[in-house]
This record gives sequence, structure tokens and C-alpha cells, in this order.
Amino acid sequence: MSLLVDLVLVALILMAAVWTVLVRDRRDAVIAFIVLGLLLSLVWMRLYAVDVALTEAAVGGGATGLVLLRACARLLPVEAEGRLPGPGTQIAAGLLSAIAAAGLAAVVLSPPVPYPSLAALAAENIHQVGLGNPVTAVLLAYRSLDTLLEKVVLVLAVIGVWALTPDAFWGGAPGSLKSKHASGALDLLARVLPPFGIVVGIYLVWNGADHPGGTFQGGTVLAAMWLLMMMADLADPPEIRLKRLRRLVVFGPAVFIAAGFAGIFMSGWFLSYPPDYAKPIIVAVEAALALSIAVILGLLVAGPAAEPPKR
Amino acid sequence: MPEFLYAAAALVLLLTGLGLMRMLWGPSPADRLMAAQLLGTGGGAIALLIAIASGTMAIIDIALTLALLAAFAAVALTLGEPGTKTRAGEGEQ
Repeated sequence: MSLLVDLVLVALILMAAVWTVLVRDRRDAVIAFIVLGLLLSLVWMRLYAVDVALTEAAVGGGATGLVLLRACARLLPVEAEGRLPGPGTQIAAGLLSAIAAAGLAAVVLSPPVPYPSLAALAAENIHQVGLGNPVTAVLLAYRSLDTLLEKVVLVLAVIGVWALTPDAFWGGAPGSLKSKHASGALDLLARVLPPFGIVVGIYLVWNGADHPGGTFQGGTVLAAMWLLMMMADLADPPEIRLKRLRRLVVFGPAVFIAAGFAGIFMSGWFLSYPPDYAKPIIVAVEAALALSIAVILGLLVAGPAAEPPKR
Repeated sequence: MPEFLYAAAALVLLLTGLGLMRMLWGPSPADRLMAAQLLGTGGGAIALLIAIASGTMAIIDIALTLALLAAFAAVALTLGEPGTKTRAGEGEQ
């Protein structure tokens, strides 16, 4: 019977994928892509990769769709001016995408035998970091340097987005996210949902140490709640010159780096944790990271400043 | 019992899929918008059924996240509605 679930799921995924590629209207393609993302989270669930499923549901439903829709809105005036890519560019883009897809398919369909896996080793040593969730152990203990660099990249992404600000608006607030359909219903949703969302976000971060969940999933849920309030006009996008805001952006990575240097004195290596204190340090780093991720994702969706700073 | 729950999950998935096809087809943007909502409720139900059937309680968190963010996605989809003034012209203000 579980096979039946998987077969239906595969059929739906293929359908949504084909629909995403074939549909003419760009906005409809984004909607289909969001649907594809939510279906993918069900696929990860069936593969028992609950952490990945949570990430896919949070990022696919909460952040990617909004970013793509805002990009769609920005592209409209470009198209109105008739600056569409020529057929040559379109064919080249299609060919490159097809080559990339074929390459990925080749890798997925012909895995090396025996399949290389460090899973046994990761499970064997998990008691040393005091965590119950092997995914968090890999992310924040075994491969913490990768995770640290990933979080620094998020800060760089914010700098990159802010760098697109025209000179006249530097230091001002990003363009309002207020929905054109602002109504009593949206207002109510933006007042009722965030308290639940904030609890779920914090729960996912806290739970991540021992069960599926973690900083990125929790941070994304928190960011979605902040964005929801911005869309309902209950909160304004913050001015990017605010020192407090910038401190929040670097807070998580800074705590992570500080924990890394503390490791040099406590156990001899950068980012190594003393076994007795490993779990408290990891949970503290996760909490700081979740806060920064929430702020960073909100700022990435809000985009570059679009109005001059208020004096 | 797990077999019955898996069968129920497959049925809900099938019905959600049929509804999804009809909604993505249109005709109005509001129909497509409902597709995200449908996956929030339908996906949540499937996740709950499979969580019990497979005994993996962590899957309940997926149902929670799906239900929460499908409502958010529906709001997000109203942003770029065609025919309304977009936020794109703001750079020129």
C-alpha cells in the first residue's frame, strides 16, 4: 500500500514539473514551482529525510515563492519596453538547461558501487557531541566549518542585494511589500498567524538538537511571519542604515566564529567543542543563527532600498 | 492498521492531485492560488496519516510547517497579481 502512495506522488511530481516548464505565463510558472516544492517535501518525507522535508516545506513555501514573485513584478516594465531575449538566447538557455539536467540525471542514475557513505561513522560518534539528531551533528559539529561559511555567504548575499540600491536611496527602507489586496482578512491573518508561527519557529530550532528540525527551518518560518506582517502593512521594512539591524544580521555568524575561537583555547582546535559543553555551545550557536537567518531572509526578500532615508 | 492508513494517504493524495490539476488549469489566478492552499491542507493530512502509519512521529512537524506556510504562500501569491499596479516602478520615485 505504501507503494501506491509513492506511485501517485511520483505521477504528481512529474505532472507539476512538466507544467512548470510548459506554462506560458511567468507568474503561473512560479505558482506551479511552489506547488512542486510542496510536493517535493512530501517526497523527502517518504524517503524518511525529515530534516530535508522540513527545509523544503519552509523554504519552498515561505521564501522562494515570494522572491520569485517579486522578481516577476520587477520584470514587467522591462518586458513592456520590448527588451525580450532573442530566439538565439532562448535556444541557448534551453540547451544549457537540458545539458545541466542530463548531467544531473547521469549522476543520479549511475551511482558508484558500493555507495560511499559516512552515515555509520556519524552515528557511531554522535554521543561525543551530545546531540540526538545526526543531521544537526553533521551540520554543527562534524562539518561545522562548511556551515559557518554558508552563514557568512548569507551575510554576503545581503550586502550584494543592498549594493543594488541607487545612490539617492542609500540607507533608506526597501520598497513596501504591502499587498494590493490588503483587506480585513489579510489583516486578521497577519495578527493571528505570527504568534503560532513564532512558537513553531522556535520549536523547530530547539527541537533540532535531538529531532528533525534546525536553525534554517526555524529561521525561515520566523522570516515568513515577519514578511507576512510586512505584507499586511502591520510592520514596515526597516531602513538598511540602522545599526541595530546590521548587528542582528552579523550576530549569528559572529557568535559562531566566537565559539570557533573559544574552541582553540578549550580543546585546541578552531570550531572543536569540549565534549562536556558541546551541546550547550551548539544550541546557543543555533539560537543565534536562527535569529540572524530570520532577519537575513526577510531582508533578502524585501530587496534593496527603494526610498530615501527619513531624517 | 498501517496498511489501511497508507491506503487512506494514497486516496487523499490522489484526490489532492486531481484537485491540483483542475486548479493549476485555471481559468483565473485565484484558482491557481488555491492550489497552494489545497496542498497545505491535503499535504498536512497525508503527512499525518503517514506519520502514524510509519511510526515516524517527526513527520508531524512537516504537517505543522506545511499548514502554517501554505497560508503564507497564498498571501504571497496575491503580490504579483496581473492587472494590478506592481511594486516594480518604485525605483523611479
